[in-house]
Amino acid sequence: MKHNIEADVRTDTAIKIAALFFVSIMFLAFTTDPIASGTKVGERAPPLEGMAYNGSGWTSFDMSDYITNNWTSEDASAEWLLIEFMDTDCPFCVNSAEEMGQNANYFMKVGPQSENSWRGPVVNFIASATELDIQGHESSRDEIKAFRDRTSGEECAGTSCGDQGRMGPAHNFIYIDDLDQDNMQSWKVPGTPAYFLIQPDGIVAWTSADSQQEKVADGIFRIMNEQGLV
Amino acid sequence: MDQNLVLIGYAVPLLLGLVLISPMSQSLVSSLVERQPRLAHERRRHMLGLNLVALTGFVVSVHTLWITNKISEGGNVCSSATVFSCDDVLGNAAYNTDPFFGISWGLIGMFAFGALLFITNSVSKEPDALWAESYLKYGKYMTGGGMLVIALLVSYEVQMGKICQFCTMAHIANVVCLAGFWKAGKMHDEGRWNDELTENSPFWKNKQED
Repeated sequence: MKHNIEADVRTDTAIKIAALFFVSIMFLAFTTDPIASGTKVGERAPPLEGMAYNGSGWTSFDMSDYITNNWTSEDASAEWLLIEFMDTDCPFCVNSAEEMGQNANYFMKVGPQSENSWRGPVVNFIASATELDIQGHESSRDEIKAFRDRTSGEECAGTSCGDQGRMGPAHNFIYIDDLDQDNMQSWKVPGTPAYFLIQPDGIVAWTSADSQQEKVADGIFRIMNEQGLV
Repeated sequence: MDQNLVLIGYAVPLLLGLVLISPMSQSLVSSLVERQPRLAHERRRHMLGLNLVALTGFVVSVHTLWITNKISEGGNVCSSATVFSCDDVLGNAAYNTDPFFGISWGLIGMFAFGALLFITNSVSKEPDALWAESYLKYGKYMTGGGMLVIALLVSYEVQMGKICQFCTMAHIANVVCLAGFWKAGKMHDEGRWNDELTENSPFWKNKQED
């Protein structure tokens, strides 16, 4: 009986390498439980960093400083994050600024607390201010400051960032300088405004893109109720 | 476990493989030839070295994928404030997968070194087969293509200002494999791919002199 010896060597080797590969994959499957990185619900949020304006000056910001890796859903003391991607010249962002400010004060528990105050975990609001590649959307750090503090002297979406422009009082949350669109691109944000609710362990819990019929506050209420944190 | 110790554990077989591939292997293994006569053959030493390096590259790739998975769970494996911090590199979602299919670089490394292991193992077992020389060429092209991938990954590390030690170990394995496949081709061209001890063999000459 004739044998093709050359073919045997390669088949034998291929089986051995495939077995090695299979054992490696089994090892990875039994010892790790990977979570995909991304901006969909259930994925680990990408990094968010840059220089941030907090009302008094520009300081370095890194979202990982807010993350508690070993967080469990029973822990109601850990703080959540609500990330807003916005452009100071985007009319929708200007129109929603007043509501955002109210939501931020409520969920961040700013000011004196009463019976009607938020009982759930603190949700820290963070805005990442970008400059969209659209004519008339030229922005700057001064414009970001003016938008946050609601001061005059800069123009937001064709009107003053101050008293005649965006409505509502000055915001109490920080604004990250993302004029180079670094954060926006890594978060794959197609347009502004876009909102992401991030769990204390860095996992995306809710996005405005996935829940277009739901407002930010409604989304936070629903998620917190589902997790039994309210 | 200290990740630097693990790294040294990978460096040892890689260095041994490099020595076996290098021209100095002949003088270094001469004392072992009496006990391991197979090491007298340059081709056998060369293929043993290539197998070692390809296997090290495969294991390092598995470890890299394991670290990537652990970081995605929220763990810290090799985080450091210094420039050597594989957590910062492998945990960066913008760079830790290939730009076309989103596959983790560790898994790509496993496939690449798995294929190289197949080539080195097959050729070791059947060095005089008709396909052996072609397979060595495929290995050379694969590792040559791997240099472009390494250039891309190093550019990522430069952008991040961080170096992933485990990734670098896999990159070194690819470079050593490229050198090994290139040398194997040269050995074929120069007629040094012979399995038998001949009168031209340095060991044969040494024996005659003794």
